[in-house]
Amino acid sequence: MINTLAYGLTIGGILYIISVGLSLTFGTMRIVNFAHALIYTVGAYALIAALPFLGGYFVPATVLAVLAAVPLSYVIERYIIRRLYGASIDYAIIATYAVLLIGVDITKWIWGATPIPLSDPVNQYLNIFGVSLPVYRLIIIALSLLVFLALEIFLRRTMVGKIVVAGLEDREAVSSLGINVEKYFCLIFVIGSCLAAFGGVLYSPITTVHPYMGFQVLLLSFAVVLVGGLGSMRGTFISAFVLGMVMAVTGRFWGPAAETMVFVVMAVVLIIKPIDV
Amino acid sequence: MLLSVGKLNVFYGSAQVVSDVSLEVDQGEMIFLVGRNGAGKTTLLKTISGFLPSGSGKILFDGADINGKPSNELALMGMRYVFQDKRVFTQLTVRENIHLAAYPFKQKASEAEEKVVGIYPEIVRFMDKKAGGLSGGQRQLLLLGRALIGNPQLLLIDEPTEGLAAGIIDQVFRVLKMMKGQLAMLIVEQNLAVVSQLADRVYIMQEGQIPRELVSQADIQDQEQLEKYL
Ligand SMILES: Nc1ncnc2c1ncn2[C@@H]1O[C@H](COP(=O)(O)OP(=O)(O)O)[C@@H](O)[C@H]1O
Ligand SMILES: [Mg+2]
Repeated sequence: MINTLAYGLTIGGILYIISVGLSLTFGTMRIVNFAHALIYTVGAYALIAALPFLGGYFVPATVLAVLAAVPLSYVIERYIIRRLYGASIDYAIIATYAVLLIGVDITKWIWGATPIPLSDPVNQYLNIFGVSLPVYRLIIIALSLLVFLALEIFLRRTMVGKIVVAGLEDREAVSSLGINVEKYFCLIFVIGSCLAAFGGVLYSPITTVHPYMGFQVLLLSFAVVLVGGLGSMRGTFISAFVLGMVMAVTGRFWGPAAETMVFVVMAVVLIIKPIDV
Repeated sequence: MLLSVGKLNVFYGSAQVVSDVSLEVDQGEMIFLVGRNGAGKTTLLKTISGFLPSGSGKILFDGADINGKPSNELALMGMRYVFQDKRVFTQLTVRENIHLAAYPFKQKASEAEEKVVGIYPEIVRFMDKKAGGLSGGQRQLLLLGRALIGNPQLLLIDEPTEGLAAGIIDQVFRVLKMMKGQLAMLIVEQNLAVVSQLADRVYIMQEGQIPRELVSQADIQDQEQLEKYL
């Protein structure tokens, strides 16, 4: 029971870290960004590439892997996403999906298609009510809370954050004040992408790293964003943990149904509360 | 001439919504644009202020060709568009709404607040409330005050009294009257009492064109005559 709970929270935490960027870019730019899954994958591979150079130390390798997302996402925003502003949403889907496919093939070309396992970087266990839990998973849960709090403070307390909140609601009106909205959207895109890479890094030791890992997580994060409400930061947070729990609990009774159940929940939410884009 | 628009054409896809429109606004003038719903007034204002691309034509502001310049740059140059539908940032407080407008002009937050309080003193009571809780009239007054931050030369205001209760319309009217002469304004307005009392000139817009301009005060104050264009 405690094990299931902890697993649900871990999955929820990772889902949150990955999805929040997707939610921000959809909310501000109205762009469905499939390339997000590529950045997530690149995060994981960058970790694997960096580890040997850093004596196997996980934390500095993580920092490097997250930073690797900065130039990559900047280029994607500047040269692809920015050309799609105001265009029909289908173009964004096609263009960013193409980026994802090309990126995945390049990843496969560099690292091969064989899954790469990664060991638990902490490798310690904590005994809670007689159940032994990996400390690494507890750290993930704590980190996701930290990301949530940091984003809340950034969005609510800083001027840049307020511009983003205003831009989520009405980007034309922000522009009418003399503010270059695109500059701030680019920043948001890069931050969101860094979080996707961070999510890829954190998830690597729990699953295995392979070129197609992004596809599976892409669908799950879209479910999180849709259930949480597009562009709603708190909604995304709650929905990530609820869906993480759904996965953990369903998986406990019948493994193969875990992910399916997420989409059942998503469908039910969309029937009750449809989205108008 | 502060603003000079020549033979402007605007399209949505293949549908032409503004056809060969020419108009001028001089320093300090208060000009009204009157016409039926769907005549193309909003489209015209949004094109001048850089929110929509023009098909062809000239737009000169303060001597510079601004056709194709993005809206945020035009705002910094001193041209402000106040949207129809009273679009405040509902998730932010009134104070934050004001500070956001001060930010690109590097103006002190307190000075910006004073500017808004100057035209709408009662706003001090709502400063730390979410702007989403304001009534339509309160929103409009906030927007008008906010548009003055950074000392623009020209305001383009889209239907400032639309949908407001009579008492609030008076208040918006008084604010517009107070602003008159201090900067140039091009205002879309359907309330003819407001138009006839404030206008220096009136452009009539019909089906994407401006077939008439009213210059004499006798014409402007003839509300019955104006009514025919609505
Ligand atoms: N985004 C749009 N796409 C296509 N047609 C539009 C769009 N916005 C307005 N129109 C059409 O353009 C015409 C002029 O609209 P608008 O400029 O809003 O008129 P007004 O402000 O005078 O009421 C109308 O026929 C309207 O239906
Ligand atoms: Mg209109």
